[in-house]
Amino acid sequence: MSDVPPGFAPVQTKGFGGFTGPVLRGHDARGEVFIFDIAAQHLNGGDRLHGGMMMTLASVVLGEAAKSAAEKGEAGADARVLSLNCDFVSAGERGERVEGRATITRATRSVFFMACELRVGSRILMSATGVYAIKRAEA
Amino acid sequence: MTETSPKNLRGPGPLKPFIDAAAPEGFTPVELFDPFEAFVGPFFERIEEDGTRVAAFRIDERHVREDGTVHEGMMLTFADAFLGGAAWRAKGDRPCVTLSLQASVLADAKLGDVVTCRAKADHQTRAIVFVSASFWVGDDKVMTATSLFKVLGER
Repeated sequence: MSDVPPGFAPVQTKGFGGFTGPVLRGHDARGEVFIFDIAAQHLNGGDRLHGGMMMTLASVVLGEAAKSAAEKGEAGADARVLSLNCDFVSAGERGERVEGRATITRATRSVFFMACELRVGSRILMSATGVYAIKRAEA
Repeated sequence: MTETSPKNLRGPGPLKPFIDAAAPEGFTPVELFDPFEAFVGPFFERIEEDGTRVAAFRIDERHVREDGTVHEGMMLTFADAFLGGAAWRAKGDRPCVTLSLQASVLADAKLGDVVTCRAKADHQTRAIVFVSASFWVGDDKVMTATSLFKVLGER
């Protein structure tokens, strides 16, 4: 990725996240943000960001935010996805930089209700919600 | 939403998958027209005696997370491709785009597993196709998904 803002570092660098990414995590004036640049391999036959890649990006943003929240609650804890709902609000174009931000709608003892938005500038590409199970560290 | 001209939606294809992988027994490779599907593919398909279409892919090192279980992004990509296929067929091969997709993850699929998908169009209006699908490793159901597809050019 060219033009990496200071303080940003890649997440999920192995396996599918690494293969399809990079997705970088950092902070800007509005808080924590994930960034991703749309390249040729991410497109559909209509030259737009493929829906599968857009959902992958939402799942990385939601999953990393859920994992961090689980670890904050208890060292060694993790979060696993139970359900994802992704709404395709607009298309993404090659060369655009996508920004993803996640929020925790509610945390119970066993699950997180999460939400995220993917945007290019002020244009929203996807709104997504997810339910994540909190996996406690094994004793 | 932004729509692509139908005549361009399929691109020049078919495209060569990122790796050569042997087809699971009884399956044949699917022609891929989307660069991202070629990047994560190949995908396979077979038609059962009763006409049911079953899609498949084998989980390799590209598709997993650090613990060797499949990444949900790969499962969602597989879902988008083949639920979309069911929508296109329901509309006589008219181009459709995804409006919304919901997936429930029931169990973990692992490196080396062959994941299959059975998708069907449940209902359609002039502009919208409602699709549902189940995803399996052998006889174990690992994911369910429902989605809405929009027929390009219809209101």
